[in-house]
Amino acid sequence: MSLTNAYNPKNDVEIAINNVSVVFKDNKGNDVKALDNVDFDIHKGEFISLLGPSGCGKTTLLRTIADLLEPTSGNVRVSGMTPKEIRLMQKFGIVFQSPVLFEWRTVKKNIELPLEIMGYSKKDRSDRADEMLEMVGLTKFANHYPQQLSGGMQQRVGIARAFGIRPEILLMDEPFSALDEFTKEKLHLDLLRIWEKTNKTIVFVTHNIQEAVFLSNRICVLSPHPGRLSAVVDVDLPYPRTTDMRDTPHFGELVSKVRNSFEGGSL
Amino acid sequence: MKKVINNIRNSKALVMLVWVLGIVVIWEIFAFVVAATKRTPENILPHIWQIIASFFDPKPVANGMSCTQVVLVNAGQTLSRAGQGFLIGTLIGFILAILMKLSRIVEKIAAPYLMLIQLIPILGMAPIILAMTHDIGSSRIIIAAILTFYPVATNTLAGLNSVEKAKYELMYSYAAKKSTIYFKMLIPSCIPYFFTGLKIAAPMAITASILVDTLQGDGGLGCMLSQSLKHAMSIYVFWDIVVFSAVIGVLSCSLMGWIEKLVSPLKRIERKTKKKGAA
Repeated sequence: MSLTNAYNPKNDVEIAINNVSVVFKDNKGNDVKALDNVDFDIHKGEFISLLGPSGCGKTTLLRTIADLLEPTSGNVRVSGMTPKEIRLMQKFGIVFQSPVLFEWRTVKKNIELPLEIMGYSKKDRSDRADEMLEMVGLTKFANHYPQQLSGGMQQRVGIARAFGIRPEILLMDEPFSALDEFTKEKLHLDLLRIWEKTNKTIVFVTHNIQEAVFLSNRICVLSPHPGRLSAVVDVDLPYPRTTDMRDTPHFGELVSKVRNSFEGGSL
Repeated sequence: MKKVINNIRNSKALVMLVWVLGIVVIWEIFAFVVAATKRTPENILPHIWQIIASFFDPKPVANGMSCTQVVLVNAGQTLSRAGQGFLIGTLIGFILAILMKLSRIVEKIAAPYLMLIQLIPILGMAPIILAMTHDIGSSRIIIAAILTFYPVATNTLAGLNSVEKAKYELMYSYAAKKSTIYFKMLIPSCIPYFFTGLKIAAPMAITASILVDTLQGDGGLGCMLSQSLKHAMSIYVFWDIVVFSAVIGVLSCSLMGWIEKLVSPLKRIERKTKKKGAA
């Protein structure tokens, strides 16, 4: 088995999460702590997962990185800048839980949307979209409309759209959680292949331990009530990863290690 | 047997046929009852074939014109004014919806007025407009526009408000400008709603225009309608206008559907997949 590792930690910090706390008001007006003093760094080119049960604040944390949410205290720095600055520079690619495609646009036009917003020429847009379509294996469906595609294919369009702008950082919020197991495993391999090719930093939110272990080189384990970082687990499985790795004893060990790292171990 | 039932259920044409047949049967039952009991049954409910025949009857009924001629000559001015009012109302409705979306204050100020205008009966509003304009033509346009703009504005606004949060977040993450968000996201997503508004408004604009006709004696479908009812000419002019305007109303609605299909490829796709699903 090849021991090449797509992730070459240069140890340069890309995203610094500095003592981030987020407090919401619930509908009774009480304070609810969604995130409590979360502090860690994400390195350039990493595939990092934010893993935890619902209510652990993993999506909240992703949203503070994406500048969709302001931390109540603490801050996030991306390449030394604020998330807002990075967002205005259009360096984020986001994939949501639902594909969020524009129904009136064809698959190709959906991938071109952010490129249009960024002012690419017509030809550049088209070329880039074609390249992305090929990457996610949807070339034949370029002129289809989203509702003509299956859920898995729609999510692939969303991924192609996110990678199309060549973002510095890819933020993925449970992108595969609505898909069936077979589609999911296929998309895992697709995503890893694209990541290895592009070497972007990926922050991947999930509640699925196996998924986190299979994809990431590092897992941030978050525990709920209040959401806090309970462990950071290194995943030493070599890249490129293959489906049969899921059946190795080491994979199982890593899964139990992650499971046991939840605070209180009460899972 | 089950297959046959399924086929019938899925066949739009058959459903339509049953529908039309049902109306014809009920109509004719009453027509026969009326014919047997009343002295002038054509004033209350003539037979369908009598109405159809009157369309082809060359006998002049007024000013040397046959029934069909009376209907067509008068339809021109009523429908063209209805059309103009419809276009103006559509434009105002659409722009108002965008303004209401752009500004909460505009929405809060405009919403009660919209409701109010909609609550005033058209029968009460029409004479006021006529008294103000002294012109039956402009009154038709104004009333048709007033009736049109409300469904267009409310439906379009509903469309603008139907865009889910994730789409906004996506546009936000690309640092899209406000104008970009409107042109690339909000306006395209409100188009199906906008057309729903048009489909509701089109027959209403025609009805309104006919109604305004009845206020004055110088032509238009509504004018002929009331004259025919007052027996100034053959009662079949009335029946012909009723049938004609019903058909035009339905056609105006399907015209909107047809235009929608033309401008939005999405609609074509939906039809296609629906057909496939039914087959």
